[in-house]
Amino acid sequence: MKDPTAAVRLRQTQNADGGWGYFPGKQSWLEPTVYAAVALAGDPAADRAWTLLKSWQASDGGWRPSADVQVPSWGTSLCVSLAESRGEFGEPFQKGVAWLLTSAGSEGPLWQRFLFRTKLFGEPDRNLDLKGWPWKPDTASWVEPTAHALVALKHASAKLPSRKLRERVRIGEAQLLDVRCRDGGWNYGSHAALEVDLVAFPETTALALIGLQGHPDLGKSLDLASRMARETTSPLARGWLTIALRLNGADVPQSTAEIASSPETMIAALSIIAEDKVQFFRTGAAATT
Amino acid sequence: MTPNRREFLAVAGASVFAGYAGFAGASPPRRAPLGSASVSVIKAKSYSDDLVSRILEGVKQCGLDVRGQRVLLKPNLVEFDPKTCINTDVSVVAAALEAFRSLGAAEVIVGEGPGHRRDTYAIAEMTRYRTEIPKFDALFTDLNRDDVSPIQGFADRGQIYLPNTALRADLIVSLAKMKTHHWAGATLSMKNFFGVVPGSIYGWPKNELHQVGIDESIVELNRIFRRTFAIVDGVIGMEGNGPIQGTPKQVGVLVMGSDLPAVDATCCRIMGIDPSRVDYLRMASERSLGVIEEAHIEQRGETIKSVSAPFELIAKFKELRLA
Repeated sequence: MKDPTAAVRLRQTQNADGGWGYFPGKQSWLEPTVYAAVALAGDPAADRAWTLLKSWQASDGGWRPSADVQVPSWGTSLCVSLAESRGEFGEPFQKGVAWLLTSAGSEGPLWQRFLFRTKLFGEPDRNLDLKGWPWKPDTASWVEPTAHALVALKHASAKLPSRKLRERVRIGEAQLLDVRCRDGGWNYGSHAALEVDLVAFPETTALALIGLQGHPDLGKSLDLASRMARETTSPLARGWLTIALRLNGADVPQSTAEIASSPETMIAALSIIAEDKVQFFRTGAAATT
Repeated sequence: MTPNRREFLAVAGASVFAGYAGFAGASPPRRAPLGSASVSVIKAKSYSDDLVSRILEGVKQCGLDVRGQRVLLKPNLVEFDPKTCINTDVSVVAAALEAFRSLGAAEVIVGEGPGHRRDTYAIAEMTRYRTEIPKFDALFTDLNRDDVSPIQGFADRGQIYLPNTALRADLIVSLAKMKTHHWAGATLSMKNFFGVVPGSIYGWPKNELHQVGIDESIVELNRIFRRTFAIVDGVIGMEGNGPIQGTPKQVGVLVMGSDLPAVDATCCRIMGIDPSRVDYLRMASERSLGVIEEAHIEQRGETIKSVSAPFELIAKFKELRLA
């Protein structure tokens, strides 16, 4: 998995503003900048990245996804985790945590959730009372932003413990478990659509396992993740699955597939994180254990 | 009318994603659509046919001139399942690339922002785009992660961010797949524009569009992008529980035209669907984005009757069946 040239390429492709684009030569975005900063932790390049990221935080504590995009972003979770990993627990960290605690998926209007609860029209595909986190405010909960928010809030729990935080983590974990597919993995948001089972994706399965790391009921999911790690041709999936398996104490199998090449910054960064920096995502046991 | 259980679940389930907007009734007609449109239906029995000449024939029938233009080919690339046919076949994309180059376009590039899986290049590998389209990586832009610009006015939202590669194209060719869709009824050249909305801001899937309302979002994106042409891959389509979990349907056609509602309406008729009952097509017609009435569409190439291949529809969309 480890790409020996990845760190060199990351240093070479850092933008003048301190960030990274999703692809070399493109404008800086939060997500690749955070992962590159994690991959290069301890390097001055990572410090420049954090300086840029701090300038993207809005007054309400949420982070926008790039300099010019005025939309609050799920990437707030990544910045909170990055701040925690750097030992920076000042205002950006605290306001970021506060923003995450007020952010929740919008799962349909109240009357609709009430109707579902009556079960007059059958079982919904998922429990709409369980709220994870959305990609952006006023949209529904999805696996990936929920997993990253769980990691960020668990990181924050040592510095900013509160009943509200613990409860939010508990509900977030329950939401992820509720949308687990029949095959043990995770699709991107639900285990079924219109009463038809959905199949798991490798990336979202890995991310859910990172969000739920340490939970006692992950055996089937880890078996599936192991098989996915062996068979996937996606370097993004391979990276996330490697991180997920390691964090959950499972062996990472050799790949039997030819992994596709990729020009993406994130994939270069994840190849380093998966080998040397998985502690960035380590949170310890799940809230429900 | 009281909905039955399945209808309720369908509506309620959709609204989880679509938000309250999904229950808003169709807006009244603003003005009647004007004029007529040419739509070309060309037979192509298999992906090994000479698709370049068929696309050239369709483009010629529609009178499209692309000389000197920067052309963006926008296929439908969602996720990969070897058991079915979710994506625009690579043969159609490769043929369109060659055809538009031969017609004198200044530049022909490919761009897409898949709605489900995040590793766009891995999907492009699995669907053989990277192996069968020469220099694919140099031609391709991942629209999910492109640089973006704000566009003012998108349904009830103040603005939407869209990828610069799409905004700067002189012509976007919607290389769609002929499929049923379990929320919208059918997904064709207009719905294909969901792929230009950047996941880097709106996520995977692009749930903002569901919150606005799928039909409203389709129409709004097609209102923003007006310099367009459609080539619908109906060589093998998808019927039943599309756009992901349906089954392959051999149709053997490419459907083309500059009026996307007219192209999609023609596809619907081939699929045995009444286009006037597909909400976003009716809305597009009412808002003068194109024509959907058969009388206003000048059919070129094959007749609809000669290529008609009624698609299996899921229960909630049985009422869309063409009489």
